[in-house]
Amino acid sequence: MSAIHLPSRQGNSRHSTTEPAWVRRSLIAIALLFIGAFLVVPLASVFAQAFAKGAGYYWQAITEPLAVASIKLTLLTAAVAVPLNCVFGVAAAWAIAKFEFRGKSLLLTAIDLPFSISPVISGLIYVLVFGGQGWLGLYRDADHPWFPWFQTWLNDHDIKIIYAVPGIILATIFVTFPFVARELIPLMQAQGRSEEEAARVLGASGWQTFWRVTLPNIKWGLLYGIILCNARAMGEFGAVSVVSGHIRGETNTIPLHVEVLYDGYDFAGAFAVASVLTFLALVTLAVKTWVEHKNAALNAATENS
Amino acid sequence: MSVEVRNLIKKFGNFTALDNVSLKVESGELVALLGPSGSGKTTLLRIIAGLEFPDNPEATVAYYGEDVTRVSASHRKAGFAFQHYALFRHMSVFENIAFGLRVRPAATRPSDAEIRQRVDKLLKLIQLEPLAKRFPSQLSGGQRQRVALARALAVEPKVLLLDEPFGALDAKVRKELRRWLRQLHDEIHITTLFVTHDQEEALEVADRVAILRDGRIEQIGTPEEIYDHPASPFVYDFLGNVNLFSGRVKDGGVVIGETEFELPGKTGEVNAAAVAFVRPHDIRITREPSGTKTFPARVIRSNAAGPVANLELARLDGGDSFTVQLSKELFQELQPKAGEQVYVELKNVRVFSDDYSI
Amino acid sequence: MPAKNIVGKKTRVLPGFHLTLGYTLLYLSLIVLIPLSAVVWKTTSLTWHEFWQVVTMPQALAAYRLSFGVSFLAALVNGIFGLIVAWVLVRYNFFGKRIVDALVDLPFALPTAVAGITLAYIYGPHGWIGGVLEPMGIKVANTRLGIFVALTFIGLPFIVRTVQPVIEDLDPELEEAAASMGATRWQTFWRVIFPVLSPALLTGFSLSFARALGEYGSVVFISSNIPMKTQILPLLIMSELDGFQIGKATALAVVMLVISFVLLLTINILQWWTSRHQQHN
Repeated sequence: MSAIHLPSRQGNSRHSTTEPAWVRRSLIAIALLFIGAFLVVPLASVFAQAFAKGAGYYWQAITEPLAVASIKLTLLTAAVAVPLNCVFGVAAAWAIAKFEFRGKSLLLTAIDLPFSISPVISGLIYVLVFGGQGWLGLYRDADHPWFPWFQTWLNDHDIKIIYAVPGIILATIFVTFPFVARELIPLMQAQGRSEEEAARVLGASGWQTFWRVTLPNIKWGLLYGIILCNARAMGEFGAVSVVSGHIRGETNTIPLHVEVLYDGYDFAGAFAVASVLTFLALVTLAVKTWVEHKNAALNAATENS
Repeated sequence: MSVEVRNLIKKFGNFTALDNVSLKVESGELVALLGPSGSGKTTLLRIIAGLEFPDNPEATVAYYGEDVTRVSASHRKAGFAFQHYALFRHMSVFENIAFGLRVRPAATRPSDAEIRQRVDKLLKLIQLEPLAKRFPSQLSGGQRQRVALARALAVEPKVLLLDEPFGALDAKVRKELRRWLRQLHDEIHITTLFVTHDQEEALEVADRVAILRDGRIEQIGTPEEIYDHPASPFVYDFLGNVNLFSGRVKDGGVVIGETEFELPGKTGEVNAAAVAFVRPHDIRITREPSGTKTFPARVIRSNAAGPVANLELARLDGGDSFTVQLSKELFQELQPKAGEQVYVELKNVRVFSDDYSI
Repeated sequence: MPAKNIVGKKTRVLPGFHLTLGYTLLYLSLIVLIPLSAVVWKTTSLTWHEFWQVVTMPQALAAYRLSFGVSFLAALVNGIFGLIVAWVLVRYNFFGKRIVDALVDLPFALPTAVAGITLAYIYGPHGWIGGVLEPMGIKVANTRLGIFVALTFIGLPFIVRTVQPVIEDLDPELEEAAASMGATRWQTFWRVIFPVLSPALLTGFSLSFARALGEYGSVVFISSNIPMKTQILPLLIMSELDGFQIGKATALAVVMLVISFVLLLTINILQWWTSRHQQHN
């Protein structure tokens, strides 16, 4: 459901049958105008607005304490969500790509679920589980809980999940859940099992097989999955907005901080902070293009045998 | 006895890949597992390697008398070469060959110098010393196959298992490489099993050939044995071109149309419909009838391109069409043209029926 | 032979099947399935009558109409222009092609909040585009047209990235055959190429439509969020949540989830059909 399985683009052979020159030029012009209006203009305007009040204001906007707090929170969120989803992605891809079992397509659909759910609902479900009127909330206030020690523990430690940092991290894990898995599964399926089998016959243990054979073969795809997962984790807005509570300096991530600035008519400040995220997006696109190139080269080796 | 398997059964869903297969391979032997696709030959090889496991508990796989049925592939010490080589694409040729030594536990792992020495020796054996630093993607198909063999040999395997070793190569390289494999085997005498669907390859390279069909071993024997004495119509058909003539079995022979052909060594009173098998090169053609031993046929097409001439003929009495191979000399002498009538004599006729076969 | 070398009764060559599948199912349950089932749990606290009242209230009906209508239009426009972009990227060479190709994914990579404020600004009265359009009487920001612009932006890559590989795989012999039989380029496109592309186009359209239906971040800034007028379904759910109407929000979320699952099923069937279709070629 996303950009994550993009095929490599190389087959660009000239066809003997082609359109008249005026058709070609018109189509190219339409495509460029469309891309220009919808992609290039917004991209340029982010940076133009960010520096509208000069470099000094820009620097101040991204270094003021609230901005720094939001950057720290965003980095923390990504630092938890990305490794967790990365481990999950590798485990899921190993099970799905290297083994046959019943219900595999059902599992694949379930992994894709977070992509097809509106970010607002992604946040809402955690409110329903952990919020005051939610599952755990009701449990916590119940007269006869199933596990009294758990209730005591929650109350003693005053664990807050919703409208606090753990909720933000959970919602981020949810929305970035499929990225690494969806990148690795098709890649590992295409590579097959024979290299791993060869390693086993040659006496390698399971871990040796994974570290020495599987991981080097999937490293570019894994890197791309991590980059995509990270970009989304740092940029998620809707789901995080639902569970955040919007406490400035405490539960505002970078996108939420952008919203606060924008709603306060500090456009230059909002775009300055937004430009940081935009830069991240551009890096993501650059890495994606590079990784596709690398993957194509690596896979060409086995495909033409 | 170096490799012995007994009572292997393996199913994939509803498909029976192996149906109670047993096989013994002598030490130092080169055995071909020959059969059409789906006959179970690759599954048999993979079970011997430990890449698949039999379904039934009583099945056994033994290497040199040691039961390895439940031993994992990584502890069997078999050398396995995959059909599409399965070379590690991110490692150089050298590292591919060294892999099996590098992954050994520290206690039994050779030193770096020893590994280098052993890999260099193998590179020399496969005649690819200058390409040690190349990656698999920079090699031709034949070179990749040789690297795959060297990699399998590097761990000093007890048996060498090759899955369609020449399957993905073009015709010329195939022939070169299978001759090379035979020479290699004569040098190092390692017990070897290889899977193929190419009967020419099996007959040329192997000491013994096992023919598989629908998960069973149909026949096993030396190339001469199976070619000259096929145990079933299937083997007969699989080992080369064959003509089928419908006729009747009678005491001491088979009657095709009006002509009776002798079946040497056969006695007994039978009179049943049967199909006679004759290879195209076991058919003689003459211009004149020769008593009761020949029957008439019409030439439909003739083609003398290639080392031998091929004729397509149709029986005048029945209409069955069949092919004949004859030497260039004989073809020049007879000059058969389409539409002409000739007389046909059959040699080495074989008849198979349910209760009766020679 | 030491015991550790003996494999168990259930035998597989590659290790880790139970470990990885078990971990996958556990993590999937904890992060996705159990929280999602909370929606069902919360909905059962409403009576059927209450549920029906919430999901058919005038505000909700207006939100369905707006969400479906604008998402459909945005996906349609993306279908047409996305096809042109994909075609141009595969078949023609021009200056800056590689950059354009990489840029197509920008809406995937750019955080939605950034897209939201940027689009709101440039289409606003003082923005680069809004400043030109408003004197002509065309208002974009804070209108339905603004929602359309945002949804077109975020749906753009889906069409291009599903159609592009199919155009790449088109067998040139098909077009050559059509040309050799006297078909014009236009006939060849409509009768030979378009039928092959149409399943992928439909898949891309559905993906783009599904994404647009659920979109929140890029719309919230450019839409004035006025109930009955410019309030799409996710924004309605959000405003119920802001008013601590969790039951109402959940009921509306159930409607959205059902729509999402139907779309997901449609897309899976389409993709299955496309891959089968391509194999036959």
